[in-house]
Amino acid sequence: MKKVWRVALYEYKRNVFKKSFLLTLLSIPLMVAFGVGSGFVMTSLQDNDLPVGYIDRAQIFDKAIPAPVSESEEPVDFIPFQSEDEARAALDGKEIQAYYIIPADYFETRIIEIVYTKKPAENANRQWWDFLQINLLSDQPTEIAYRTAAGTDITVRSQDGKRTIADSGPTFGNMMPLFISLAFLALILMSSGFLMGAVAEEKENRTMEIVVTSISPLELIAGKLLGVVAIGLTLLVTWTLIVVLGVFAARLMGIGWFQELGMDWGVVLTTVAIATPAYVLVAALMIAIGTMVTTTQEGQSFSSIFVIFHMVPMYIAIGFVNNPANSLAVTLSLLPFTSLMTVAMRNLFYSVPTWQVVVSVVVQTVSALGAIWLASRAFRLGMLRYGQRLQWRNLFQAGQSGE
Amino acid sequence: MHPIEVTNIAKSFGDVHAVVDVSFEVKRGEIFGLLGPNGAGKTTAIRILLDIFKPDRGEVSILGGPMSEEKKDLIGYMPEERGLYQDIPLERCLLYLASLKGVPDQEVRLTLGEYLERFDLAEHKSKKVKELSKGMQQKAQIINTLLHQPELVIIDEPFTALDPLNLELVKDVMEELRARGVTIIMSTHQMQQVEELCDRILLINDGKNLLYGELDEIRRRFSGHAVLVRAEGELPELAGVKESSTHNGDLKLTLMENTSPKDILKTLMSREINLEKFEIAVPALNEIFIRVVEEGD
Repeated sequence: MKKVWRVALYEYKRNVFKKSFLLTLLSIPLMVAFGVGSGFVMTSLQDNDLPVGYIDRAQIFDKAIPAPVSESEEPVDFIPFQSEDEARAALDGKEIQAYYIIPADYFETRIIEIVYTKKPAENANRQWWDFLQINLLSDQPTEIAYRTAAGTDITVRSQDGKRTIADSGPTFGNMMPLFISLAFLALILMSSGFLMGAVAEEKENRTMEIVVTSISPLELIAGKLLGVVAIGLTLLVTWTLIVVLGVFAARLMGIGWFQELGMDWGVVLTTVAIATPAYVLVAALMIAIGTMVTTTQEGQSFSSIFVIFHMVPMYIAIGFVNNPANSLAVTLSLLPFTSLMTVAMRNLFYSVPTWQVVVSVVVQTVSALGAIWLASRAFRLGMLRYGQRLQWRNLFQAGQSGE
Repeated sequence: MHPIEVTNIAKSFGDVHAVVDVSFEVKRGEIFGLLGPNGAGKTTAIRILLDIFKPDRGEVSILGGPMSEEKKDLIGYMPEERGLYQDIPLERCLLYLASLKGVPDQEVRLTLGEYLERFDLAEHKSKKVKELSKGMQQKAQIINTLLHQPELVIIDEPFTALDPLNLELVKDVMEELRARGVTIIMSTHQMQQVEELCDRILLINDGKNLLYGELDEIRRRFSGHAVLVRAEGELPELAGVKESSTHNGDLKLTLMENTSPKDILKTLMSREINLEKFEIAVPALNEIFIRVVEEGD
């Protein structure tokens, strides 16, 4: 067992203490941070908090009621002007971003005029119409005025009541299972790539013959697997810490999307149950590829096929949104490679039936066991074929091995 | 019981019969030469010995029985296909490979330092393996084979890529190991080194034993009816000598069938000729190798 740990430690150090690992470690958080960050930056760049003026000739705002403003945005001030000249001077002096003229016959015509030098920002526009609506309803009790102005508020619930998505869109907590699945997917693909490289490296360096006369092939593979799992955990723990810190910071900053963190732990457990055999399946196949190819580079081109298989559900995600219970969605939920992402995406707005989860776990586990058998056979056949590629058909032919 | 006992092993890969019938024993503390032309089955036989391949039939006893994980730590193996981790420093590579032989880091560091000094690699220990020359990598391979102080060393072509100085160094190391009781199996095509180092040999071809036994006995077995003589002044004409020729500065006398080397020595002594050398002419191992393999074909 000591030797297994030695191999694991060697693999871990060899990969983690490389400069390129830092890039791998930060790639996913940076990608997510860039995506979320650029969204917020774009939104804030579009916002303009400069006041907006108005000339109220219809006397709607005699007793002005302030507009309701969501927590995530700054309120825009609405300044009354007595004459167009005053409003024009304020606009030219850049004290306001636009001004509205409500004519005396507004209640007959329903026409309002707007004057600006540059089109007002979306937040100012939105808040103006809320402000106008509230004040048009000023003869009603305040709560009715506010509720009427807020408009429809539809909460979508799955039939079993386990999924709830508010009118404002899915919260961070709603999306969390999908993020976890994506993290697992990245983990599976990255760490299995490390594993394939670790096995192919032995062949490329022609060290296999020396190593297998020091430790058993099973111990060698177990050690490499442990090392790669440790690398994967390093990635996962780091990403989790970064996400937790990011969410904590976002909550402190009052960003609304991160306020609702309620998660369905059943979905998280489902993800883990499917991801675990999926990881073993891909890892075993990567070992098989690592022993079949002649160089690490060649192995990487083979392994990209598995990446494509895993991505299939994302390409047809819209089909799951329209009908998460259709036969394609069910089939992809059960098949190896596609199951993890399909179940994760369906779980966003639908409760995947337990039987499908169970069948998926069973299919993944049986496939993983088959892959382990294949990997062990590929290892015995391919380990000493330096500079020669092992063909898939060799794996199923008798009399090929040195067993 | 000998450290290695191989009995009638055979191994085929599909239609290819790599080893047909090979048997031999290796005694403790001897240097044993495993010889044969390319494709004779030497590497397959070694891999069977090390349990990398299972034989189709036959038996192998290594260090007193079948191979086990514990026994792997007592064996040093340098395969024909040289291999070291190219992208890491030499010292780290050797320490890691020694750790797989169950030797703790602290314990092996001292021995490694000594070997690196002896093989003139100490100043290169921090370099990546791929930055070392072919000869340096060969020496590093030899260090890797011996670093964990094995009881049994199996070494394939140990002299490849070595300059004469390093070749002598490796030979010295092997002789020291033999003196310490380490058993060595050496496979090489360099017959001169076999003659200098090996106690016994096995010559195989087409996966079968061709020649097996003590080196001196084999050479005697293949000696022609001739003697090598070096004397002060010119030799007189001698009765019973069919032909004389020069051979590496000596006079090679081919004798008639009814004449023995003893008769010639007696004649030379009776004529009071000062002899500097008188020995039975035995063929070089190279000649025996070619003859046996060609006759076998």
